Amino acid sequence: MSLQAVLPDTISGLLGLEGILGDVVGGLVGAFLIANIMLIMTAFAGPWAKRKITAAFGDRIAVNRIGPFGLLTIVTDAVRLLSKELIVPEGVDRPAWDLAPMVIPFSALLGFAVIPMGNGIQLADPETGLAFAFAAASIASLGIVMTGYASNNKFSLIGALRAVASNIAYEIPLVVTAASVVIFAGSLRMSEIVAVQAEPLLSVAGVTIPTWFAFVNPFAFALFIIANLAEVGRNPFDIPEAPTEIVAGFQTEYSSVYFVLIYLGEFIHIFLGGAIAATLFLGGPAGPVLPGFVWFTIKIWAFFLFTQWARSAIPRLRVDQFLEIGWKGMLVLSFANLVLTAIIVGVIV
Amino acid sequence: MPTSKDNPVSQSAEPVFRTADWHEREAYDLVGIQYEDHPDLRRILLPDTWQGHPLGLDYDQDRPQIATLREHANPLEGDHRSAGDSNTMYINIGPHHPATHGVLHVETVVDGEQVVDLDSDIGYLHRCEEQMCQQGTYRHQIMPYPDRWDYISAGLLNEWAYARTAEDLADIEVPEYAQIIRTMGAELCRIASHMIALGTFALDVYGDFTAIFMYAMRDREIVQNILEDLTGQRMMFNYFRLGGVVWDLPEPREEFFEKIRDFIDELPQALEEYHDMITSNEILQARTVGTGVLPPEVAKSYGATGPVARGSGIDYDLRRDDSYGYYDELDWDVVVEDGCDNFSRLLVRMREVEESAKIIQQCVDLLEDWPEDERNIQANVPRTLKPEEDTEIYRAVEGAKGELGIYIRADGTDKPARFKIRSPCFSNLQTLPEMSEGEYIPDMIASLGSLDIVLGEVDR
Repeated sequence: MSLQAVLPDTISGLLGLEGILGDVVGGLVGAFLIANIMLIMTAFAGPWAKRKITAAFGDRIAVNRIGPFGLLTIVTDAVRLLSKELIVPEGVDRPAWDLAPMVIPFSALLGFAVIPMGNGIQLADPETGLAFAFAAASIASLGIVMTGYASNNKFSLIGALRAVASNIAYEIPLVVTAASVVIFAGSLRMSEIVAVQAEPLLSVAGVTIPTWFAFVNPFAFALFIIANLAEVGRNPFDIPEAPTEIVAGFQTEYSSVYFVLIYLGEFIHIFLGGAIAATLFLGGPAGPVLPGFVWFTIKIWAFFLFTQWARSAIPRLRVDQFLEIGWKGMLVLSFANLVLTAIIVGVIV
Repeated sequence: MPTSKDNPVSQSAEPVFRTADWHEREAYDLVGIQYEDHPDLRRILLPDTWQGHPLGLDYDQDRPQIATLREHANPLEGDHRSAGDSNTMYINIGPHHPATHGVLHVETVVDGEQVVDLDSDIGYLHRCEEQMCQQGTYRHQIMPYPDRWDYISAGLLNEWAYARTAEDLADIEVPEYAQIIRTMGAELCRIASHMIALGTFALDVYGDFTAIFMYAMRDREIVQNILEDLTGQRMMFNYFRLGGVVWDLPEPREEFFEKIRDFIDELPQALEEYHDMITSNEILQARTVGTGVLPPEVAKSYGATGPVARGSGIDYDLRRDDSYGYYDELDWDVVVEDGCDNFSRLLVRMREVEESAKIIQQCVDLLEDWPEDERNIQANVPRTLKPEEDTEIYRAVEGAKGELGIYIRADGTDKPARFKIRSPCFSNLQTLPEMSEGEYIPDMIASLGSLDIVLGEVDR
């Protein structure tokens, strides 16, 4: 039961193609479109928005020389980074060392396949959409382990170990918290989760507040956002990178194109985290006046802004404290949330 | 302890004072004194391949240093050794590492993430400062060098160390007016220096160029501008002269005073902001309270001074305990915190900024009302200073990092025969293994940040 035609069908319909050919062409064109939308967003986020945002927090101006508001820095940075020498250190474990920079952005992009972005932009809408999104996102940890192990560098190794530890500790609360939403929505299908949230919760002075799960269960939302910060590795949980401790951890040995790919992957990952949070808790692409896709973009950028804010203002935890919070705090709270939600839903609904 | 020239052997003081470890290694390295029963008498500042002891009297400077490639093909060989048993890992933190504050090389053995053993390898920034001072005349040629020891905006404090030593050596009385200017300038330097210590400590704990680092740099910039107005320089001030300072306050004086007053008036607000962002942040407290513990006895044994000692509850400040300049005429307090951890070292620096502001405030009041015809910035100093042969002197001042002392032995000429710098960072850095063994790598990094070392002063 799909509420709306997914993007590949729309494309093949427009092109007048049918059958397998229509599926293949529609799927490829759709994937190409979505991947490019995300890459463009990352291009804005990485070289430009990140600098501007952190500069604003630190009372600075940042890039403003090339193009309006320094926007052409995106182009010059791309040229700069791509024209650098790709240094392959002695003793790296190939091909793992070469594959890892591809695994990281690829896994994050894959997650977007099931995210409804509004205006019918959604590549696929399987029944297990949410599970797919989490599965795809967590492949990135595999990439990080590959980078850390294959780099033949002790700092990278420590970084990779930290990444694994943090992923295990925080992925469980993340998924369990998401499960509480699934109990509400009664489905793992992304489009249905969004549809359920469109119903009005209550009306205050003519303004209707929808049943976004962030309003229904703010506690779960907070848990999810915290676990998500850990998942995308930003302060106070940026311990896999921790430049002042382990010199950028797993990415120490990467340069040039490979570095760009890892960097890109991290940003897409932040956006994916924002997209999942928006879909589960903020009504997906829903919002007044503006078209759905614009709202969706605003929401994931809001999450990006939040990660940058945390990065500028919050100290990093020590690795043992970080794991302690994960296992003793987040895990317990997320299960409590799940059980409570289940009871409430069971009694009321 | 004096030793004979033919057989320079002395007894090690290391069993009594742990600080003797490094100081004796330095004496061995530079002068060539052997110490009996020293646990680890290696070179400390010069490379292992160095031949001879350059500050020894019989050292031949023209003899070429020959280190064959065959013997030293891989100078890092020692750094790649395995840690022995397979449960631990040997890693080199530095000399190029974002958190070592310069070219410090920390040879670390870790068990998982915990530091098992740690040895600081210094000397990467050794610039023969002592020897250069020995080749300069007392009167003018030495004063520019102190700026280059602790080059992180503590220039005037360092210059005062030399000025005080040489003035006491030659019995020069500094005019009161010049002393007040010196006091004010030195405290401005202390604020600038503590600001950067604060910012970089936050950098080590927060990671990346975060807001608090930029705020500290922003406020330090104001001090830096004031110092630029005063001395004409932003880094290598060279403002002190024996017997006074090089020139009077910049004209128009009202504008200059106004600038300082504005800064002092806005400082409490800035510090309030820092306290909001740093000291009252729970995560930062979790990171710093109770980590990097340095008990008072250990701190004393290692000769730690300055904010590091005062953060361990040792009530010791040369500005009060061996007063110089105009400090004993002014109203201020010595800041002591007895937490002994990273957090109290941070707090000491933040509170010392407030005390320095108090001192500057009083200096500005005094300078403003100083009668115009009594503004004497310079005492009469002979053109050439020739202290008598074999006079010895050691004088120290409270630098930004601790007790900065200078020992001079004169030989009757216009240049010192021996010029020894007692650097506070050198002694403070020695405490790092005590603070970090058994702790996690992040805490080791935080402890290193809380020591606030400047490699220019460690290596000289």
